[in-house]
Amino acid sequence: MSSYLKTSKFFLGVLVLTVVIGGMTFGNLPGPATPMGVQTINSVTYNFADYRSLTQEQLALFNYVNTIVSSKYQGYGSWNGWYAQSPAVIGLHHYVLAFMSYATASLFDSTPGYRTDYYRGFAYDLIEKMNTTEARWTNESIEYREWTNPSYGFTQYHYPNATNSSDLYVGSFRGPANIMWTGHYALMMTLYERNFHTGNLTNEIGWFVRDWNNTLTTDGLGNLKQGGIWGVGLIPCEPYVVFVQCNSIPLYITELYDSLYGTHFMDSGMWDYGLNFINTVMQDGHDLFTDGYYVMKPLGYQFPSDGPQPTFPGPALDRIMHDGRPKVSSYCNAWSLTFLEHAQPDETTKDYPVFLDLYSKDVSADKMYMVDSYYCPSRFGTYDILGSLFTLALAKQRGDTTTRDRILNFLYSNFNKVWSADGRTMHYDTMSLEPFLQSVLAFGWIWATTPVTIRSLADARPADFWGYPYISHADDDSVWVYQAQWDPAKAGFILNIRVDHPSTLVFSNFDHVPTAYSGGAFLAQLTASGADYSMSLQPGTYNIVII
Amino acid sequence: MLLWVVAYSIIGAAIYLIVVLIPMPFTMISLFKLGLAPALAVIAVVGAVRGPIAGLLTGYIGEVMHALILSGGLVTATLPALAYGFMGLVVGLTPYEFARGRSLAKLSLLSIVGLMMTALLVLVIDLFVESFGTLAVIGFAFLPLVTVGLPTVALLTPLFARVLYFFTVEIRPHAIGAM
Repeated sequence: MSSYLKTSKFFLGVLVLTVVIGGMTFGNLPGPATPMGVQTINSVTYNFADYRSLTQEQLALFNYVNTIVSSKYQGYGSWNGWYAQSPAVIGLHHYVLAFMSYATASLFDSTPGYRTDYYRGFAYDLIEKMNTTEARWTNESIEYREWTNPSYGFTQYHYPNATNSSDLYVGSFRGPANIMWTGHYALMMTLYERNFHTGNLTNEIGWFVRDWNNTLTTDGLGNLKQGGIWGVGLIPCEPYVVFVQCNSIPLYITELYDSLYGTHFMDSGMWDYGLNFINTVMQDGHDLFTDGYYVMKPLGYQFPSDGPQPTFPGPALDRIMHDGRPKVSSYCNAWSLTFLEHAQPDETTKDYPVFLDLYSKDVSADKMYMVDSYYCPSRFGTYDILGSLFTLALAKQRGDTTTRDRILNFLYSNFNKVWSADGRTMHYDTMSLEPFLQSVLAFGWIWATTPVTIRSLADARPADFWGYPYISHADDDSVWVYQAQWDPAKAGFILNIRVDHPSTLVFSNFDHVPTAYSGGAFLAQLTASGADYSMSLQPGTYNIVII
Repeated sequence: MLLWVVAYSIIGAAIYLIVVLIPMPFTMISLFKLGLAPALAVIAVVGAVRGPIAGLLTGYIGEVMHALILSGGLVTATLPALAYGFMGLVVGLTPYEFARGRSLAKLSLLSIVGLMMTALLVLVIDLFVESFGTLAVIGFAFLPLVTVGLPTVALLTPLFARVLYFFTVEIRPHAIGAM
């Protein structure tokens, strides 16, 4: 072999260059799979592959978003690391908070037996950031960025005449014409209560649900009215435009609220008129949803200088084709189909293949993306990326991992993974393309890859769940919890964990002295700590069953 | 002769498929992707060893199989697969002597030419057949193919060819006469 090497300087040169280039490129390989085993204890077999799990990368991405969310690092109205100051993105900022909350809710539900302040505090801090008021945080508040920013130009909110102060007032940050904030804010709180069961936010959630019920079933003045204040059974934003995607959020909350608290808002028909409206009126020629319907002309609305003019009330018109057809978008449909599947599963099942057929573009064998509008597939910009991001969650929910993986390859294959020096956090470096995407792609990966769907989060956990053993305290900065849940059928706590430094875990709700097993062999008997039990672990990776 | 072409094509396509399914390391430098995609070199090597038809078929069949496995269907009526096969066709148009460094350099150069033609074909297909947005085509298809493909085919094609030559000289001397 050495003689062959010696006869060709070119070959030698090529070999050296290959090694040099190859050596530079190992940072972005897929992360390791979570180690899972099978063990039998007292004739009961526990197969860790039967339980939900998280990966190292998902946890590292969560740890990264925690550094920009947690009040431990910055105040609620501080936005270091969010890169959301530019006029192009400032109005989108609150959406990032909201969808980060939904993505991380799915992460929390993947390890339902791990409920320390690390996860609970993150979820709460995100809600507080969403609720930052102008009085406290001025221009840095979400209230300013989403509602009072004078560049939006909308300052008067009466119905039916926006400027007539004698008409019904529908304004304010928390009012019935701002569903694109109130809906998300309330869902963040509802998912918090679903996952952590504190009761602290229940009253505020209920206030919104009752306010929406009033909006959707009365004229706002106490008189019952079909279709509610705006006559379409939906709640507007922007203002005075109703969107399917925005209304899917309060509808979803109503279902979850009923599930959590035994109310019957859905059964009362609160959303019936609106669901019928979106399924009959807000449809394109392919039975998919259109993107926006004006319930009245917003004050200061600028009519297009040419082409067909919109009617009020009437659909928002497509501004690209400019021929009177209604506006359509992939992000609208992906978002709506995901969040509405719990309420109308047959509709999502029927629409999903049509949605893919119309909006998807094959880039290569392993990459695809979703165009913003199928009217004009040759454009590419922010809303195409948005449509692709929302389709990740929908594809996962539909069990379509092929589509999900191809979109993931498209979105993520152009960014480096950046790990922190201590190896606890990771993010995708989007600074060269668009810094604002950094936090988005971080939670986007979680949103796309956890084993929990938006649809499954719409149901409350069973009542028994809150009596199951769980981890209530831990040295969170030293552990990676891949799996943590109580198996009621086998009466065992499944714990798959990596420990970086000697750590203690505290378990609550055990009604006897629990014993931990690893690999089927005795590991430790937990130590009583008040009403709880604790266990200390040395560095290592463990598949533990606690019975 | 035809049998050998078909045999090399099928084997080449199988090797291409196995290699292309392995996640390959890469790094981004600003918006440019740097890495190696050995599967591309497989197409070029088969073309160099067995001629243009074998190279074309290796790329075409391999990429069609790749699309079937990863997407569950055919991508753009297999036109991208044809583009990949074109690289093998270009490389296979001229004979090589893998024992000589100059011939390996020629192989490297023709692989680059073939890769650029593949990239341009992909660009045309994406812009005019699939009607992608220009930014999407350039940012997500054309540029990564060029920045990863060029060092790959320039470096790995002669490397693989030389290694193949070494093994065939030691194990299958008759194969050298057939080449």
